[in-house]
Amino acid sequence: MTDLTQGIAVVTGAGGGLGRALAVELSRSMTVVGLGRDTTALEGTAQLSSEGRFHGIEADVSCFNSTSQAFEKARIHGSITLLINNAAQYPRRDFTEETAESFMEVVATNLGGTVACTRAALNDMLDTGFGRIMNVATFADIAPLPASSAYSVSKGAARIFTRALIADIGDRFPGIVVNDWMPGMLATKMGIPDGLAPEQAAKWGAQLALWHDPSLTGTTWEMDREIPPPRSLKRRIADRVLMKPRVAARRLG
Amino acid sequence: MQVQLSDIRDTHWDAIVIGTGVGGGVAGRALAEVGMKVLFLEKGRAGFRTEETALNLDMPDPVARAIRGFWPDPISVTLDGRPQELFAPIGAGPGGSSVFYAATLERPEPHDLDDLPDRPHPTGGWPVEFAAMRPWFDAAQTMFHIHGEPDPLSSVPSPAVAAPHPSAPGDAMIMDRLRGNGLHPYRLHTAVKRLDGCKDCLGHKCPRACKMDGRSAGLEPALVTGQAVLLTGCAVTRFVRNADNSVSVEACLDGQVESLNARHIVLAAGALSSPRLLLASRSERDPKGLGNSADLVGRNLMFHLNEIFALWPGKSAGFAGPSKSVGFRDHYFAEGQRLGMVQAMGIDVGYGEIVHHLRGRVARSWLRHVPGAMDLTRIPAAIGAKVMGTAKVFVGLLEDLPYTENRVVLDVGNPGRITLEYRVSEELLARRKLFRRLIRSSFKGTRTAFLTHEPEPNFGHPCGTLRMGVDVGESVVNAECRLHDVPNLWVTDASVFPTSMGVNPSLTIAANALRVADRIKDSK
Repeated sequence: MTDLTQGIAVVTGAGGGLGRALAVELSRSMTVVGLGRDTTALEGTAQLSSEGRFHGIEADVSCFNSTSQAFEKARIHGSITLLINNAAQYPRRDFTEETAESFMEVVATNLGGTVACTRAALNDMLDTGFGRIMNVATFADIAPLPASSAYSVSKGAARIFTRALIADIGDRFPGIVVNDWMPGMLATKMGIPDGLAPEQAAKWGAQLALWHDPSLTGTTWEMDREIPPPRSLKRRIADRVLMKPRVAARRLG
Repeated sequence: MQVQLSDIRDTHWDAIVIGTGVGGGVAGRALAEVGMKVLFLEKGRAGFRTEETALNLDMPDPVARAIRGFWPDPISVTLDGRPQELFAPIGAGPGGSSVFYAATLERPEPHDLDDLPDRPHPTGGWPVEFAAMRPWFDAAQTMFHIHGEPDPLSSVPSPAVAAPHPSAPGDAMIMDRLRGNGLHPYRLHTAVKRLDGCKDCLGHKCPRACKMDGRSAGLEPALVTGQAVLLTGCAVTRFVRNADNSVSVEACLDGQVESLNARHIVLAAGALSSPRLLLASRSERDPKGLGNSADLVGRNLMFHLNEIFALWPGKSAGFAGPSKSVGFRDHYFAEGQRLGMVQAMGIDVGYGEIVHHLRGRVARSWLRHVPGAMDLTRIPAAIGAKVMGTAKVFVGLLEDLPYTENRVVLDVGNPGRITLEYRVSEELLARRKLFRRLIRSSFKGTRTAFLTHEPEPNFGHPCGTLRMGVDVGESVVNAECRLHDVPNLWVTDASVFPTSMGVNPSLTIAANALRVADRIKDSK
């Protein structure tokens, strides 16, 4: 297989916000299966999507059984070539008001869902050696905000998961392209009122997700541009003095 | 493909093949294709067929190595008296090491096997003459879909070698340059089908049956016959004598010790492991190990010395892309000495490689104690890359000769560990000097630089450790590659080579495996 659109895309959290916008955008190019907890919301996404190209499946990604059943149903529509791990929850809670259970529930969705969906999608991708996994990520782990501990921890762990996954499969399956994408601050339920319209962010997200270039593996993108890995000041000076060639960051066209 | 262990135990196998590299894969295929029931035992894991893993000698974790099909553990080498541990470029998985190889299958010269009046053979000659091997070379070349050009210096025709694939621009350019230097280059004999969308999987696993290796040209066609079964994750530990002097196989599968029987056992675990298994099969009947009454099991270990050099053909040629499939044999035998052939390595040396090389030189010199010296190598490297453009990298394969003190030994406390003792002989150093001088002088007027400084044994080309011969006191297996005193144990890997030759071992392994399989099917 050499074309992502020959298979199907799975988008988690497709009932609203960015997930819905991503599913709608992707449905212009390929068949999309959207996972979500709310069937009415998924129907709404179907109505906005290209005719017959969107199939909603009720699933809670924090529940392993629910996820694996959803992927079984998804395969009716084709072999999974693209996965966007988008589903997340961001409850504002001070840690003194968290219980261990409430905290780990968030981890179960934000990290557990990413792990479970990735593992399920790999069943198809490992057989063909071809696929694309894009994780919707944030910088929340770098300087955690107050009342955001569970979100910061779980989303930070999900970014580590991306790197750990690449350590395991990157050298063996260069045709399975894996990276993180930060959509920016969005005007969604999880975001801020004067943020970016999710439809605009989804245009970039879908374009990046449909870009199957092995050199994307391990890269981090924010909105429409690549964020090069951070270099310390010392490193930057040393690189300049030592004439180390610079690699330019890429941008979506 | 994978079956129940109870079915394995209940089947009457005509042959058990230990190891699925070129030697095991090809022998097993030949046996399965004549209708024999064949059980392949592979120590490594099955993995996914879609993998494109490249051999990574820097990856230390044994679990990560095993799942990639690398030999999981470091090997213990006492090199010139200095004990060290290193990761050798060898595989453990379907196809063995060959799934990682560059698929260069070169036929040796008549004097590699034969004792000729003007080219005396160091062992008096292989027990099988070049002329007798020729049909098997042809058969192996056909089986591996070999493409290339005949060596212009050879008088022996190669009817089974198909015309070369269209050449890369870099190849044409470098061949002109080599001819200008009075050399006789030709397109290497390559086992790549070049299917549509060929990824040129030299040095890494090929996700399709395009690169021909022990897996795609041996194991998989064998399984297709329906006569063969593969057991992966099955590490053979030793052989056990039966009452009639034949042997059974003792293997470890999922932590369980299994005893497996067959009419014939084909040992093809590789020249570093096959002798280890025989040494581990000590018993009252065979106190020094199986087949070891002459104390020769594991001895005469040989490698090639890799002489890697860079050649700067000038800026125009530097832009033509890497040269992949060019070689020459002008120095194969020179000044009465056995040397070897020279091959393009399929890489251009640019900035990064020069940095790497300079760092290696710094690390070996007193400069390693100077803080920042490593990073400072970038400056001359950047200047070098600007002035000289990119270099083509070649490797000369220098033949190693057999010495009984160079050997695979058994680590009794850790019998699964590959352990060996090897000394670079004075005689080898002298031939090395000659080889390097000849290479240097054949490129007069072109800038060259050797990238290897210390003698570097190619641990991926081991051979000789179960020598084939006629005399029971001077060999481990007979001319048909059966152990002298074991009626059902045959060897089809490079262990049986009496000498290491001046070419890559794979074609000879495949040809010999076909020859031995032919004897097995004709024997009782």
